Amino acid sequence: MMSGRKLWWSVLVVVTVFYAIPMVAMTRFAFQRVPVIKLSWSNVFDKWTVAPIGETFADPNFRSSALLSIGLSVATAVLTVLLLVPTMALAHLRSPRVRRWIEVSAVLPFVVPAIALVVGFAGAFRGTAPLFIRNPYGMVPLLVITALPFTHRTIENGLSSIDLRTLVDASRSLGAGWNRTIWTVVAPNIRGSIATATFLAITVVLGEFTIASLLLKNTLPLYLAYAQGQNPQGAFAVGLVLTAISASLIGITNGIGRRSRR
Amino acid sequence: MNRSLAFLSVTKSFGKTLALDHFSVEVAEGELVSLLGPSGCGKSTALRVAAGFENPDSGDVMVGESSVLGSPANERGMGLVFQNYSLFPHLNVRENLEFGLRVRRSSAAVRRARVTELLELVRLSGLDDRLPHQLSGGQQQRVALARALAVEPRVLLLDEPLSALDATVRVEVRDEIRRIQRGSGIATLFVTHDQDEALAISDRVCVMRSGRVEQVGTPRAVYRYPATPFVARFVGRVNDLAVVVRGVGIVALRGSTSGFPVPQSGPSSGDARLLLRPEDVRVVGLSDDALARGRVEAVHFGGATTSVDVLLTPSNQTVRSTDATRNVRCEVGEEVGVVFDTERALLTREP
Repeated sequence: MMSGRKLWWSVLVVVTVFYAIPMVAMTRFAFQRVPVIKLSWSNVFDKWTVAPIGETFADPNFRSSALLSIGLSVATAVLTVLLLVPTMALAHLRSPRVRRWIEVSAVLPFVVPAIALVVGFAGAFRGTAPLFIRNPYGMVPLLVITALPFTHRTIENGLSSIDLRTLVDASRSLGAGWNRTIWTVVAPNIRGSIATATFLAITVVLGEFTIASLLLKNTLPLYLAYAQGQNPQGAFAVGLVLTAISASLIGITNGIGRRSRR
Repeated sequence: MNRSLAFLSVTKSFGKTLALDHFSVEVAEGELVSLLGPSGCGKSTALRVAAGFENPDSGDVMVGESSVLGSPANERGMGLVFQNYSLFPHLNVRENLEFGLRVRRSSAAVRRARVTELLELVRLSGLDDRLPHQLSGGQQQRVALARALAVEPRVLLLDEPLSALDATVRVEVRDEIRRIQRGSGIATLFVTHDQDEALAISDRVCVMRSGRVEQVGTPRAVYRYPATPFVARFVGRVNDLAVVVRGVGIVALRGSTSGFPVPQSGPSSGDARLLLRPEDVRVVGLSDDALARGRVEAVHFGGATTSVDVLLTPSNQTVRSTDATRNVRCEVGEEVGVVFDTERALLTREP
């Protein structure tokens, strides 16, 4: 029998290897000027270069899709926070039933495939509000919905971890209206959760493919898929950069979470 | 005196539970009134109705001469202190105290002066920059009180503000609240389930049960002249003795034959309960004209007062006395006599 500690370590090693091998392979493919067929142990340190990133950045198509993705991330994150924090705080205070209802609808994106969402969305708005579909920022509500399972959970945890009713009652008794109470009393006390929800929304948007593809919007993931045909090394290089950004966002989030819990 | 806060026949139910049932009480200017009762008696609901956090089903809440039911909680101008620590955790003491003033758009100079004044009032000068988690529980509740007073409310509502504190700190903060309340002359409603607290701090006590008022009166009146058996049992200690009514104004302890006089109200025959304060039971020597006799079961030395538990024979009930005659040997196992002063006793059928 293996002891608990040994088991723990072996699982960790297996998982690390499982994730590390493709990452290392991607990194070598993207950043080494060596033909793929010749990549082997003997040339691990040969001909490394960050030029593929530069090449991709020079592509105007990349720049426009990167800007769009950043814009969509920010818009999605902001709309998520503006919608979720007041709605969920009120549901916590006023009605357990509404709270459960929100909880169920928040995980629906896990169940309803993105393609069904887009088809429904397009069908509903093509005739009535074509601008909404034509403008790339029209997808923001869909992205908010897609990120909901993650963002809802984090805000929910934040609200459950504070004495919401007492804080709100205290603020109201001191003369503050609902708006002021939500944004100057509730929000600062769940800032860790809000930051996490923001980052999660950003990561979801940076990786979202189906909706953008079906609505023909040139976001970063679409560009990367297209660029794999043109400049595969550049596409993988940018893909790795995005992964690194997402990973550090999660790292920052954990840091914030720990600090606000203290 | 002018009334500051008044509940006029307020009724409030949650689903099928009736939290307040035609509840009426008034708080005069400068007065501190306690709502005292067991948990679930509706005392906190009454406070939440006054604060504007709950809407009553019927009845009215007046501040001065006007109803406040139309105004939302943030426009009622009431200061609140809560049972749970309610300081905003992300703001320091100064910012907490300034919160209400900022809402009212007071100038920076006014805010600074007011904060200094309030910190002096609650004797916490110099702690301006502390965050709530750097304060002790007692300090937090004093800051909470100062924060409630910052906006000069017309009424102060205190919702069990001491129940999260340790026993010694509790007395300290309790006296502090009373001193500040007296000084500011602000009408105050104090909700508590602790009768010692209510008796010590209040001008008047309102004893509640199941959403209704059982008795309102000064602490002395409520203690000495309880209007109902519930009040007698809930406020202070009481001996709850099983007796048999022999005739109008005459009862005997259950299992005993010798009758003694009691006030003439209450049932006139059958089994009943006699409620008697420990100070109305006197332990005497066997030779005196004792009303009943028994054996000392326990002696609780309490410094200023010592209480003695006597197991009565033959009725086999324990009675507590805080009035032992000095020359009687009160030690465990000793045979003694007891005398009842039944002038203020209550006779009831209520078990």
